[in-house]
Amino acid sequence: MRDYWPWWLGALGLGTSTVAFPMLVGKRLGASGTWERVLHWRSELEAERADAVLDDMGAFEAALAAETAAAFGGADRPAATGTLMQPGSTPPAATEIQRRLPLSTQWLLLVSILAGAAIAAMVSGRFEWHADMGQAFSSVVVDGWLMWPVLFVGGMLVGVGTRMCGGCSSGHGLSGCSRLDTLSLLATAVFFGSAVAMSFLVWKVI
Amino acid sequence: MSRTHLSVVLVGTFFGFTLGMIGFGDFGELNAMFTFQDTRMLLAFAGGVAVAAAGFFVLDRRRPVRTRIHKGVVPGAVLFGVGWAISGGCPAIPLVQLGAGYLPALVTLTGMAVGMSVYRRVNARYWHIDAGNCSL
Repeated sequence: MRDYWPWWLGALGLGTSTVAFPMLVGKRLGASGTWERVLHWRSELEAERADAVLDDMGAFEAALAAETAAAFGGADRPAATGTLMQPGSTPPAATEIQRRLPLSTQWLLLVSILAGAAIAAMVSGRFEWHADMGQAFSSVVVDGWLMWPVLFVGGMLVGVGTRMCGGCSSGHGLSGCSRLDTLSLLATAVFFGSAVAMSFLVWKVI
Repeated sequence: MSRTHLSVVLVGTFFGFTLGMIGFGDFGELNAMFTFQDTRMLLAFAGGVAVAAAGFFVLDRRRPVRTRIHKGVVPGAVLFGVGWAISGGCPAIPLVQLGAGYLPALVTLTGMAVGMSVYRRVNARYWHIDAGNCSL
């Protein structure tokens, strides 16, 4: 079994991921928000359908405007678009930037993280099926059947907490803090602090 | 498969690989980080923020959309921290644990899904916190 990466290599990897994601994809990297969207896939799909209808309406309006211009002249004045565009200028891409990523990218991101982690476990010789969470979990947190309710409740707290504060260790911790976003800095300080407090509690007291 | 999908797969796989190689899916390493017995992962995380900050400064200096601090930040972050400490799962980590073969992470994920759904309902009905979504 190989050692885990030294801190500087990990820092380079995490930093590169955090910067590369928005540069290539156009949105911040954030796991809890991605989960939220995948879990509520039904309402997400409805929203996508509504967007598609609006796109059709937009295309319809543009075609209508073009026909009107062709029939009545004034093709050099694209007044029908409703914006004051100079001839030759590019149309504003604001709607494109505001658009959410398609839902398919969201579950694909989760599957990719799982695949990447599996590759890491294989190449470092660490992959092994476990019905427990490892020796450290058993000795520090709980042993035996109590593991199941603890994991479930812990997961619930993570689910409620990340949605209530609007992000998690990737969205607030990595993406937000590196942009010096006040909200993210505050959230990260608080969740890190509470995780430290709770870890000491289970380690020393319970 | 668009260019966006391909980018998501590339960066997502690299991100998952990095998390696995650092050891974020290893509960022992995580607990050692939170109790300051081992600073390696702490430095990796803080260093990651520093590298990303430098990267954004050089490559993309557009001012980010400033998010308004809302009443859910502090209580939400406290709950999240407690959950992270006892389950080892910040939302991407159960996937990393699963990738290394730890099957009970599925229970953590189920709990997370239940928590998010319950929160969504309760918030829509009683709290009305607009926490936004970090990945939108």
